[in-house]
Amino acid sequence: MTAGAPRSWGLVAPALLLLVVGLVCPLVYLARESLHPFVDGRALPTGWTVTNYAELLRPAYAFYFFDTLRFGLVVSALALALGTPLAWIAARTARSALRRAILGLLIGLLFTNLVARLYAILVTYGTTGPFSGFARLFGLSAASPGFAAILVGIGLLHFVLPVAALTLIGTFQNLNPRLEEAASSLGAPRWRVALGILLPLAAPGLISAFLITFAMCISNFVVPLLLGRGVVLFTTNLMYVRITEIANYPSGAAIGIIMLVLVFAIVYGLSALARRLLPGEATS
Amino acid sequence: MMPLDRRRFLVGSGLGATAALLGGARLTPAQAAEQLMVVQWGAAWIDVSRKIVETYTKETGDKIAWELHAGGAMAIVAKIRPQWPNVGYNLISAWDPVFQAMIKEDWLEPVSLDEMPALKDIPPAFFQKDAAGRLMSVPLSTSGAFWGYREDLVDKPIESVEQLLEPRFKGKLCVPYPVNLTGLLMLTLAMQRGGNERNIEPGWALLKELAQRGQIGRVINNNSEFINAMSSGETSVAFFNIGAWTQVRKNFPTKILSRLADNRGFLFNEGFAIVKSDKDKVAASKRFANYFATPAINEMYNLPLGEGPTNSKAKPGDDIADVFYKPDELARYAYIADFAYMASQVDLWAKRWETEITPLLRT
Repeated sequence: MTAGAPRSWGLVAPALLLLVVGLVCPLVYLARESLHPFVDGRALPTGWTVTNYAELLRPAYAFYFFDTLRFGLVVSALALALGTPLAWIAARTARSALRRAILGLLIGLLFTNLVARLYAILVTYGTTGPFSGFARLFGLSAASPGFAAILVGIGLLHFVLPVAALTLIGTFQNLNPRLEEAASSLGAPRWRVALGILLPLAAPGLISAFLITFAMCISNFVVPLLLGRGVVLFTTNLMYVRITEIANYPSGAAIGIIMLVLVFAIVYGLSALARRLLPGEATS
Repeated sequence: MMPLDRRRFLVGSGLGATAALLGGARLTPAQAAEQLMVVQWGAAWIDVSRKIVETYTKETGDKIAWELHAGGAMAIVAKIRPQWPNVGYNLISAWDPVFQAMIKEDWLEPVSLDEMPALKDIPPAFFQKDAAGRLMSVPLSTSGAFWGYREDLVDKPIESVEQLLEPRFKGKLCVPYPVNLTGLLMLTLAMQRGGNERNIEPGWALLKELAQRGQIGRVINNNSEFINAMSSGETSVAFFNIGAWTQVRKNFPTKILSRLADNRGFLFNEGFAIVKSDKDKVAASKRFANYFATPAINEMYNLPLGEGPTNSKAKPGDDIADVFYKPDELARYAYIADFAYMASQVDLWAKRWETEITPLLRT
């Protein structure tokens, strides 16, 4: 430990304190709440039980956890696929007007109220919207549950695409263009430069963007609420109903804790996978 | 529907203020003006309440701050629980099952005919009572939940809930999540197949049939979602409360199926509950609730809601005459649900919906 360490601790102490008080304490309380039995009409039930978890581990509830995670994975992958070219152009273009236009679009989307964007999707592509025929492209009717799921996906993409693209702009700006030039001058074709040089160098940024968007998707509440028409429900919607409509805090808390554990497991798993696939990252 | 225009409102509020002052809402010098926080529903409820309160504030000096229900009215119970007893609310606009939940928690102040003279004109059966028989709510509206449909979107009249299984209604049904209306959807479906509150299985069987056939196009959580789904034409048939139906009826030809041969309409009361707090706030809350219960104000309050006034001296709007029942029709068409029992089942029903119905809706 260096002499500067105590001073460093002093600097991080307020943030750590805030983290413990604002994040860790509520989560610990949530975990504790999840172990209480639900007693109708009792605000502070006594006793301990694992029933709330046992209920949620039934196969019927696996559907909700699987569905939520599936939306998260698909939409995050799409956000990367669509955000990467945008970010690349914004980072590398010599035309400042184009860069400004892309940045303006992304930041503008970020600052536009999400609820307004979701209602815009609903009135445009919903059952009575002028583009309700859009559903037929997927072989569905606009009133079908399948199309409600597609609208939820589009809504989530609206939410996370700007974040993914803006995250990647920083990543691409940090890639030294001379590495590409060196590879090209040694005869490497463009695809090999992209896959052999750029992708490994950008991988940490891509993984970060994926994990951020994934977390944003699976914790989202308002998108399935507004676009899911009550047939597409995320675990957050189940939690909301349990806590606010039925006052079954223990069951709602158990859903939250299970999601927390699942997300930690997935994020840890993906990070570990990335470290194995990208040995250079193992030490970073 | 009789619109609540400026002339009608001014005449009504003038009469209401006069009646309220003569009828017991008179301020004495000892009554200091208070600031009250009232929880109310959005849409027509808050609009008419704000209009009424303009006059009330001038008369009494009491200032009213509003907060809107988020989601179903039962959500307010979950919101209050962690805050109790440090709750900022003085009055909560809700309905019978919510009042029962709050009575069970011992959050409410009893009301009496001596302190609130306007309550003398409200039938005793409308009040929610505690175990000691004390009056715990201020009923303002007789409401109901019914099946109904948009006549411009349905080719042939609907005469039975059984018809909703027909292919023409695929994706056209709008139903509330079972926690809404304390599970009245489950009850109406159960009654369709010979069940009741305590024999709900026939309702689940019918619900599964509807879900499997793809009839349910929308599951809603609140009035606004219902109004949007029905007004946009996204769905054409629904089961929901008359207040929300009234908003749809304002703009579209709508048939409320309150007189089905093989099913029933469900009646219940809405109104205010007074939350326990200090003596002055409680006194001001009672003053406020009493004002809303006076005949002219009660009439004015219910007119835009499409609900029946509870004060026997108030007249119901012409437009709801076809929905609510004459005394001799009550036994045949109306049903008063056992909300206390149903409230105890809602958690179970919500879980069954999640595990047995939602997966069917997605297929």
